[in-house]
Formats: sequence, C-alpha cells, structure tokens
Amino acid sequence: MKIVAQIRDAALRELVGKVATELSAELFDAAEVLTPDAASHVSADLFIVETRTDTDVQRVRAQARRSGAALLLATSPDAQLANSAIADADDWIRLPTTEAELRMRMETARSRAAGMSHVRTAADAAELVRYEELLYDKLTGFPTLPVMIERARELLERRGELTVLYIHFVWYEKIEEIYGWQKLDDVLETTAQAVRHFYAEEHSPGENLMMVSHVADDDFILFTEVRSSPDAAEQRLRVISEKLEIFLRSTVETAHGDDIAALCGIYVGAATIFRNPKIRTERLLYRGIREGAQAARGAEDWERSRKVADLKSTIRDGAVFIEYHPIIVTATEEVYGFEALARGVRRELRSPEVLFEVAAEANMVWELSRLLRKRAVSGIMDELKDGQFLFLNIDPHDFDDPMFRNLDPDELGIPDPSRVVLEITERTAIKDYPRFQEYLKDFRAKGFKFAVDDAGSGYAGLGSIANLAPDYIKLDISLIANIDTNFLKQNLVETMVQFANGQGAMVIAEGVERPEEFETVKQIGVHFTQGFLFHRPRYAGHPAARKASHVLHSGNLPPAVEVGDS
Amino acid sequence: MTDINVLVVDDDPNALDIVRTYLESKGYKVWTAKDGQEALAHMEQVRPAIVLLDVMMPGMDGWEVARIIKNHPTYGRTRVVMLTARSDFADKHEGLRSGADDYIVKPIQLHELGERIERNLKALEKTA
Repeated sequence: MKIVAQIRDAALRELVGKVATELSAELFDAAEVLTPDAASHVSADLFIVETRTDTDVQRVRAQARRSGAALLLATSPDAQLANSAIADADDWIRLPTTEAELRMRMETARSRAAGMSHVRTAADAAELVRYEELLYDKLTGFPTLPVMIERARELLERRGELTVLYIHFVWYEKIEEIYGWQKLDDVLETTAQAVRHFYAEEHSPGENLMMVSHVADDDFILFTEVRSSPDAAEQRLRVISEKLEIFLRSTVETAHGDDIAALCGIYVGAATIFRNPKIRTERLLYRGIREGAQAARGAEDWERSRKVADLKSTIRDGAVFIEYHPIIVTATEEVYGFEALARGVRRELRSPEVLFEVAAEANMVWELSRLLRKRAVSGIMDELKDGQFLFLNIDPHDFDDPMFRNLDPDELGIPDPSRVVLEITERTAIKDYPRFQEYLKDFRAKGFKFAVDDAGSGYAGLGSIANLAPDYIKLDISLIANIDTNFLKQNLVETMVQFANGQGAMVIAEGVERPEEFETVKQIGVHFTQGFLFHRPRYAGHPAARKASHVLHSGNLPPAVEVGDS
Repeated sequence: MTDINVLVVDDDPNALDIVRTYLESKGYKVWTAKDGQEALAHMEQVRPAIVLLDVMMPGMDGWEVARIIKNHPTYGRTRVVMLTARSDFADKHEGLRSGADDYIVKPIQLHELGERIERNLKALEKTA
C-alpha cells in the first residue's frame, strides 16, 4: 500500500508512521511527491490530509481521485469541519485520535473509495456502528477474525502455505474478582501491543507477511509465513513460538507487576497450513487455527500439572512467606492494621491467588490454609502496635476444615482475638448464608471481628450484607479503579458509605493506586484505604505513601517476613 | 456557540425539546435522536463529546446503546450519561457494567443537568 500524508500534528504523524510500518505500507510526504499545482498527482492508495483553515478540500479531493487514492481527512478539535468538506472525504477523524481509530478510518476510507457507497439511511448508519463494535476490538484495535479471513485466504492461495501462531491468553478467575475487569482489559491491551511490537521487531518487512486478529475469547491469532526449508521450518516455528511467549510474558510483567503477570497465562501454539485444491481454503484456515489452539492448550495443561507438583513440595517444605499490606485511616493517613497476604517462595507460585487455585486443583486447600494462618499470625502478632488490627483472609473451603472450625486462638498464637479481623468474600458469604451465620456466631463468641470482602461487586444487594452485620465492609476493587472520573462509581461508593454508617460498620476501599483515587474516596468519607499507593515505592512522592512506608520500614516491622527455605 | 456536541436520546419529544432548549442556551451544540438506532446513526456525523441517554426506550434500551458506544473502537471515549427513572443499587450496577460514566434521575432538574454536563466535560479533558 502507498500512503501520501500531509500532516503537521506531531502525534498524528507518529501514529501514521507506526501504522504504516505495521502494514508494511510505503509512506510519502505530500510536499515531496505533490506540487501545489492543482493538477499534480501521484499513484497512491490513500491520502491522509490534516485540514487547516486554508485547506481547499475540493482540490485535495481532486488530487486524491486523480491519484486513485482514498481521502482521509483529519481535523483539529477546535476547527469545525464544514459538512461539505466531510462529504468530499471518504472518511474523517477528529484529533486527537488513537491507533485503533486511525486504523479503522483508514480501512473505511479505502473501502468506500473502492466503490462501496457512503452510508445513506439512518438504519444503515446505525447498523454500521453496531458492526464496527463487533468487528474491531476496542482494546487492541485488532480486527476480528471475520474481517480478516478473506485476506488470510488470499494470502494462502498466493503463497501456497501459511503459518498460524495462536496466542492463547488465560487468566485466573481471581484477576477480575480482585483487580476488576478494567485491569484485565489493560493486560489484554498490553499483550496486544506486545504482539505488534514483536511483529515489527522480529520480522523484516517483505519477508514475512503477517496479520493480527482477535477472536471472542481473548485469544490472538497471527497469520505469518515462515520461509525456510521444510526440515528447518518446524524448528524455526518452535523458536518463534517460544520467543514470542517469553516476550509477551516479560512485557506483561514489566507493565503490570509480578502479581498480575502470575495470574495470566500466555501460551503460543503454531500450525502450518498448505494449500490443497481439493479442500476449501476457508476450511483449511479454520483447521489450522484449531491446530494452533490445540498446541497452545497442550502447553497450558503441561504447565498446570507442573504447578501442582510444585505446590506439593511448597507445602512439604513450608516454602511460603507473608506480606503485610497496610490499611490506612483515610482521614489521618495513619496505619490502622495490616492484611496478611501469603506468597509462595517459588516464582510461579508467588501470587496468593495462584497458590489457592492450584491447591484447590490438588485438593490441598486445608493444608495450605493451616500453614498460612500459622505463618501470618506468628509473623506479626508481637509487632502489632496498640490499636492495630490483623486482617486474615479466609478461604471458603476453610469452613469445611474441622481444625479451622474449632480454632483455638491460643494455639494459633492469638492472645486477643478482638484484634483479628477475618475477611470473607461477599460471594461465599451470601451463597452459604445459613451455614455461614452459624460459623460466624462461633467466631464472634471467641472475640473475632469480621469483614465482608469484595462488597458492592453487584453479586449481592445491600440487604444481604446487612443481614451479616459485618464490622467492616471492603469495597470491591472494580468500584475504585478510576473512580475520580466515573461518577456512577462515586455514587455507588457514597451509597455504600451511608449504608455502612447506618449499620455501624466501617468501609475499606481496596486497590487505591493513584493519588486522585485517594482524594476522591477521602472526599466521599470512606473510612479506610488500602492499595498500591501505600505500599509501592512507585508513589513514594505522595505524603500518604511516605507515612506508610515510614511505619513499614521503621525497623520493628519488616514489610515481608520470609520464612521457610527458598 | 461552542464546538461541543451533545447528543440527546429520548423517545419523549417533550423531554427532548426542553433539554435541547436548555443546553442550547448554555452554548452547546445539541443533536437529538428519538431512539437507540437513530442515536447510533448520528455518531458518525456528530462525534459528540457527551451522549445523554434515556434508559427506557422502545427497541434497543439505553444500556445496550451505552455498551455499543463505550465498546466502539472510535466512539469509546465519548462520555455517556444515563437518564433513568429509578436509580437503585441494581440499576446503577447495570450502568457500571454497560460502561456508562454518570446518570441523572428523571424528572430532570435543569441546573443539575448543566452541572452534570460540565463535570463530564472536565473528566473528558482529564482522561484525554
């Protein structure tokens, strides 16, 4: 493809350059290939022109038409584009734009110029918007498979063979539960960008034609061409798959941290398709995609069994440590207590969520929980200052464990149970309601306090939470992410705070990552706050972070107590 | 007249008229649509900064329209404010899931409407 651009906006220039490289398109500056003369033209596929007040859109359009090119106009937000100008272009963009929009507008401009008429009726226009929502993924900007299948078919027919790289993206259910679905969206976006980056770095343009697509269940598909002798091809495929897998994982880890990276699995499977005149090309393509998917799932299964084996040795050796995340009094920014979070010493079992998921698979949740409870208590009890609390997470399976049900606080090393808060997720508490009430009574009689975790996630109404009469209500993280710009979330959190105040309970906002989010929950009157803002060096500049980290590093309370062999 | 486009979607022509008159007096450029389909059809031409979206409409309901707009590769950044008759806990969660940014309880108080538009424009600047 040949693109002629006349752009002054630096951000747009960069975007166009990036997209052109990815599409292996040639990009020319209009000033170099066109003269101001209205009759000048050059053979091209697409003109991208940023309009200025003095731009003669009709002249530009005439030049584009003579050049056989589609015309895509870009206009700055303050310059109102006349309707007549819009009508002259094949499509238009209002700046600033995004890569996804640019790609889509380039595509529509070209297909319209190619003869598909402008959308006329309102019904058509509405349908178009609905289809675009379905055909292009907002996060990744990748077209979905139905859009790309035709191109893949062309490619296979022209080249005789085609390689499918299937990127299987899985995540532990907990990632949405704990970090909210927006986080998952972020991770997917990072992965998609990494795929693009890998593609741009690893493949010299011209040698490998590659397309990227995205199917409904969050997996990605690359169609590529691996040029080498048949013997070496398989070897090379394996090398590419491995390299891609490692690259994607390390990119996600760098961008989102170990915890999140541990909750996502990225597996790459490859398959090669050969043209076969006896079989419909589409069928061959879908078969190749299936083979790639199977290969990727095989890799996933293998890793799962390895994790179960690792968990067994982790429990046998006691190879876990506990991190204590501070819970801050929102108004004073003093440390109110600590939530104990368990981590595996082994790298792939570091995340507490992964630990528990694997333990459930291996049927070893009780053993794991007993070990972690002991460690969590012994690691901090002597260090807790007066008035500070220890928050302990209780897994739903723990209630089936007689050793937990008949828990003896002394034996566990808890001299005063009223300083220990048991956290139970809203989902479980509501599901096993009658049984849960019974257990609760026993634990309350011993003096323990308790918190409903993940409240307000929409799983249960406020009435159900009221019946449980918790001492603390921990808000679901999905309510906190970007709360500073989402007024619906602000309103929901306000409702929760009012409700809690009426119940004599107190609210804890989890997952506060940005100072803006902290200021917002403070204004709303959320009693306590917890999140990366307070225990990540990243936000060391914020006063609250300094206070919290001062407490953490004052010497009498290490941020992580490592026990067990590593 | 500013360049800020506001698209108002409601199947009640009276409500549309009142909202349009008020917002135009505030200097916004107002576009109207009587249902979800017409709203989506307008997106291409109008590229609004804010869509005011009635929840209860014949055909596609407001949540569905909000979801399509907020998931769209081009229009995803549009601020979507729901106009809803009831605003209980479940209703707000429905809004959160659809990706809506704010809501106004009907009957609409005009000064409140003005405030909501302004705070959403500010949030739009912040997230740009």
